[in-house]
Amino acid sequence: MAANAPLLELRDAVPSFEESGLMPAPYNLRIMPGECAVIDCRDFERAAMFADLCTGMIPLTQGSIRFMGLDWSTLYDRQLNALRGRIGRISRHGSWLSLFGTHLNIMLPHLYHTTDPFDHVVRRATELGHTFGFPGLPVTAPDRLSGADLARAACVRAFMGRPDLLILEDISDMLPEETVLPFFETMTAARDRGCGVLWFVRSSAAWHEYRKAVNIHMRLLDEGLFSLRVV
Amino acid sequence: MTDTSPPPPEQQASGMLAQMGPPEDSKDTGRVATLIGRFAPWLAAIGRLTRHQVRFTLLLIGAGWGTLRESLRPNSWRRPVIYEFRATLRQVIGGGFLSIVVTATLAGLMVVSQAAYWLGYAGMAQMTGSILVSVLVREIAPILVGIILMGRSGMLSLTEIGMMVLGGEVRGLQARGIDPFLALVMPRTFAFTVGGFTLGMIFAVVSLLMGFVVAHASGAITSSVWTFFFNVLVAMTTWDYLIIPLKFVLVGFFVGLGACISGLTVSSNDTMATIMPRGFARGIMLVLVVNILFMLDF
Repeated sequence: MAANAPLLELRDAVPSFEESGLMPAPYNLRIMPGECAVIDCRDFERAAMFADLCTGMIPLTQGSIRFMGLDWSTLYDRQLNALRGRIGRISRHGSWLSLFGTHLNIMLPHLYHTTDPFDHVVRRATELGHTFGFPGLPVTAPDRLSGADLARAACVRAFMGRPDLLILEDISDMLPEETVLPFFETMTAARDRGCGVLWFVRSSAAWHEYRKAVNIHMRLLDEGLFSLRVV
Repeated sequence: MTDTSPPPPEQQASGMLAQMGPPEDSKDTGRVATLIGRFAPWLAAIGRLTRHQVRFTLLLIGAGWGTLRESLRPNSWRRPVIYEFRATLRQVIGGGFLSIVVTATLAGLMVVSQAAYWLGYAGMAQMTGSILVSVLVREIAPILVGIILMGRSGMLSLTEIGMMVLGGEVRGLQARGIDPFLALVMPRTFAFTVGGFTLGMIFAVVSLLMGFVVAHASGAITSSVWTFFFNVLVAMTTWDYLIIPLKFVLVGFFVGLGACISGLTVSSNDTMATIMPRGFARGIMLVLVVNILFMLDF
């Protein structure tokens, strides 16, 4: 990846309507390393689909999407998976496997994509758990955790392993009040080392306190993605 | 408002053929096109049905080859994959052990004691070993082990993976760069393979042993247990040493693979009520196909 190259770039990307349900309009977005883009979207499902689009999971009928200089459509499965392993993601739905305990769910992407020693991964996850208000790593099944604890666990998982891009769906309604500040701090720390952030929000209340640090503000509607002025 | 609906297939076909053919033959071409157009929906329906029927078989062949190929890459056996392999192996062997012992005991009581009694009655007691090997160990054991594997563990895998697909968890795995084939299908299939072999061997030993105990108690067999097992081993040919373990291995492999693939290919219209019967029917079919294929050649 070149020094001044965008981290994530959607260039007239038109998603396949059959695969996504997203309007086949050209989407344009450019996030540089360390930038934070906030996208207003009231519909959770549309936000999740757009997040999938940015991670190369939805075929395009036109245009291109590049992440770290690589076009998703030109990569093979193993390359796609390796590249997706560089993205930390918070999803609202379908992100917890009931087969494993929450601790394994948190560490699963990191254990899959890296060869870091297990103890090191556990230590890092526990540290992040403390940051987000856990006394340690939760080992119970995810479906037995409360919404607030799942939101904490989602944050721990997203920030694990120094991701290059964070794609954060809106969990502000589940995230406990005392976790909001650590969330902003961890996000800022990640941005300081060059991680880009794509943050979906439903209302301005979710990012109001962070607005001064936001670089791009857009709105995702049925008709496409529209730029808004950052206040 | 203009009507933009496509023309019927007859008109489409005749239009296309009329464009392709020379102008002087347009009348004949039109007639042929009308004929083709009339049969086209029937042909399409037959094609659709054929493709639908062989879809699972083709999927199974492709996934089987993919599983073997991926398993040879050291890079495929990452930590979550190994974890999943161990967890499934524990479930397959631990969950099926008691059922296998009970079934093997019942099968042993029936087959060994009956064989010993009737062969002794017919004055062919020296054939007891070979009859037991060919009937119990080579033919009955793989079928029963396959059915128990499928019932105790295959249906569980099918339901788990099917529910994960319907709940969006598999898509969530993909979004995090975790290949569901590597993380779920490959380790589970190999766990079933190892489990099939292990449970099959347990079945063979327990059924023969229990059969011996009963036959010995009833006086149908008077030799020692060592002589009995020695006779069984002597009755086995070189091929049996290859075919019997291979049957257990293949039954385990295909039951596991079939369950995982059936789970992974559920559609959004599917529910438990449609997933389970389909998976059960496919599992039974696979167990029988593996056994029948071996029966044809050996």
